[in-house]
Amino acid sequence: MIVPYTHVLLLAAVLFAVGMLCVVLRRNLMMILIGLEIMLKASAVAFVGGSLHNGQMEGQAVTLFILAVAAAEVAVGLTLIVCIYRQTHTVSPQCVEENACRLE
Amino acid sequence: MLDPVPLFTRNAAFGAAFSPLIAFAVIMIFLSGRRRAAAAVSIGAVGLSFLCALALMIRHFGGQAPLRYTAAWAVSGDITVTFGFMLDSVSLLMLLVVATISLLTQIYSLGYMAGDAGYSRYYGFMSLFAWAMISLVISPALLQLYIFWELVGLASYLLIGFWFQKFSAGRAGKKAFLMTRTGDVFFLLGVLLLLSVGSVDILQLNEVRIPETMGAGTAALAALLIFGGIIGKSAQFPLMTWLPDAMEGPTPVSALLHSATMVAAGVYLFGRLFPFFHHVPAVMTAALAIGAISMLTSAATAMVSRDIKQVWAYSTISQLGYMLMGLGAGGYAAGIFHLTTHAGFKALLFLCAGILIHACETNDIFEVGHAGARRLRFPTACMLIGGGALAGIWPFSGFASKEAVIAALAGHPNPVWAAAAVAGVFFTAYYAFRVIFVVAFPEKKSETDLPGHRPTATMLWPVGLLAAVTLVSGFFHKRMTGALDPQTAAHGHGAGGIWLPAACLALAFLGIYLAWREFGRKNAARIGFIETKPALYRLFSERWYLDRLYDRLTDRFIDRGLADLCKKSDDHAIDGFLHTLANGVAAWGRLVSGGHNVLIQTKLLVLFAAVFGLTLLLFFAG
Repeated sequence: MIVPYTHVLLLAAVLFAVGMLCVVLRRNLMMILIGLEIMLKASAVAFVGGSLHNGQMEGQAVTLFILAVAAAEVAVGLTLIVCIYRQTHTVSPQCVEENACRLE
Repeated sequence: MLDPVPLFTRNAAFGAAFSPLIAFAVIMIFLSGRRRAAAAVSIGAVGLSFLCALALMIRHFGGQAPLRYTAAWAVSGDITVTFGFMLDSVSLLMLLVVATISLLTQIYSLGYMAGDAGYSRYYGFMSLFAWAMISLVISPALLQLYIFWELVGLASYLLIGFWFQKFSAGRAGKKAFLMTRTGDVFFLLGVLLLLSVGSVDILQLNEVRIPETMGAGTAALAALLIFGGIIGKSAQFPLMTWLPDAMEGPTPVSALLHSATMVAAGVYLFGRLFPFFHHVPAVMTAALAIGAISMLTSAATAMVSRDIKQVWAYSTISQLGYMLMGLGAGGYAAGIFHLTTHAGFKALLFLCAGILIHACETNDIFEVGHAGARRLRFPTACMLIGGGALAGIWPFSGFASKEAVIAALAGHPNPVWAAAAVAGVFFTAYYAFRVIFVVAFPEKKSETDLPGHRPTATMLWPVGLLAAVTLVSGFFHKRMTGALDPQTAAHGHGAGGIWLPAACLALAFLGIYLAWREFGRKNAARIGFIETKPALYRLFSERWYLDRLYDRLTDRFIDRGLADLCKKSDDHAIDGFLHTLANGVAAWGRLVSGGHNVLIQTKLLVLFAAVFGLTLLLFFAG
């Protein structure tokens, strides 16, 4: 392996942290979805690194599965966001709770 | 070893002690509304006590060995606390005195307290007092005596503050209780000290070899501590100002408790433990000194007092001082005899005062005289008899007992005590007859009838009986001394021969003459020789500023000291702690309850943090 295994895992960890921060800190449902995506990508990077380190191809096969799952999840998530928008006319995560919204 | 107690004696002693207790329970539980029944039960019970006391007296007085019946109540190691009774000559005598005067005052109260709202409660408390006092008298050990000592103090508090709707009565009851309690702290310390070094049994304490077995220092300390309790209960200097205030209670209560029995309990205790105290010279000197100081200061205050009950109250303090002086000089029989006669004539004086107060509706002697109290001839004559006994005039009982005390004092090496006692004779005669002359020979009599009630038969009979007793009991001196203290009786007349009683009699007549000149004559000025010197008058009438001193002390150390400290601790420490605790719990609850009210993202954050922590844990510790 050209890139040491620990570096790949570190990259995965950093990506996961960034994704987590994005989920927790953003006030936009879309950005939460993007954060989730980043976390999924982070796990994919970890799998690829693992497959390279152990010489097995199953790791990279799992990565393809992750990509498929992520796509499906994004579709569902966007539909949910559209429904929420129809209810509350905003994409702020605060307004998902009842009586927590300060708009309108 | 003592003889076993016959069954009759045992039953009589327990009957005398417990029948008032049963009466108290019955009255307080069942008879609160039924006044005649309450009075009947109470008088019946104390009458039974009287009969038992009389029977015991007839059977056992003069016997040499005391009759003792005890049961071990608490055993701890080698210390045994016993309960029961012990009857010897002095306790039989005191038992008869207590029972007689209780019976007479309760009969007197039928008339005096008639129409009062708390009639049943009054008789309940009188029965409580009778039980406590009788049980105190027959106690064989100091611990039992202390328990009943406190109960007597409780009964006194309840009876002084009987008319509790009057603020002054409640305050007087509280003052009496607190002052006697202060003395009782010392008493309890003495009892505990004795309990720790050996025993509190009176017979054992009175044994001859006690100072060797106990150690002279311990015996002296214990004796002085017990004497502290005696000072409190018998209203001696410096704990004496509660007794004049205790006159707020009904007059029969004053006659029973605060002249004849309760305040005499201190002197009685001294007599009970006389052989023990006799080994400790410090206590004997203390008794002499404090008795002398009390006697003179209270006689001085009595000379300027205008309230008839307060004059007799100061007189009680003074005569108790006499008794303590007699006992302190070693005159055991003299002191006990004076205790007995004083109970008789002081109760007589109080009951007569009660009749006059009831008839004239005032306590002030000048107003009583003006209202024409002289028209009540029988009570006034009885008061004359009582006053004569108090002043120590032959043939009244006070003469014999006072002579005995002064003879005992004359036998003491230090002449200052006898001189103080002799001076006291003059003052006593003066203040006693000042009251009698002001009441009997007023400046101008009112023409209208007496404003209050005339005395009923139930009020006059006890007074008459006590007057008769006062007339004859002086002649029982030899017999009583023979029974109480055989060694002294064998000596005959004490030191001083015949001239000492003659001198005292002359001084008493001098005091009466001075009172006559100032108050009794037709055109007398009616101003006492003390009142002509305003500084002295102020000093005496303010009770030698003792009350001011106590007020200042309680204000400084208790109100602004201890009470303030307690209040601050209560406010800041206890209340503050509780508030902080409650607020903290509420804040924590708000925090936790708000946990579900946050945004989804905060919950997600918590979730991530938890998972991250778990991962670390598993990674590093797994």
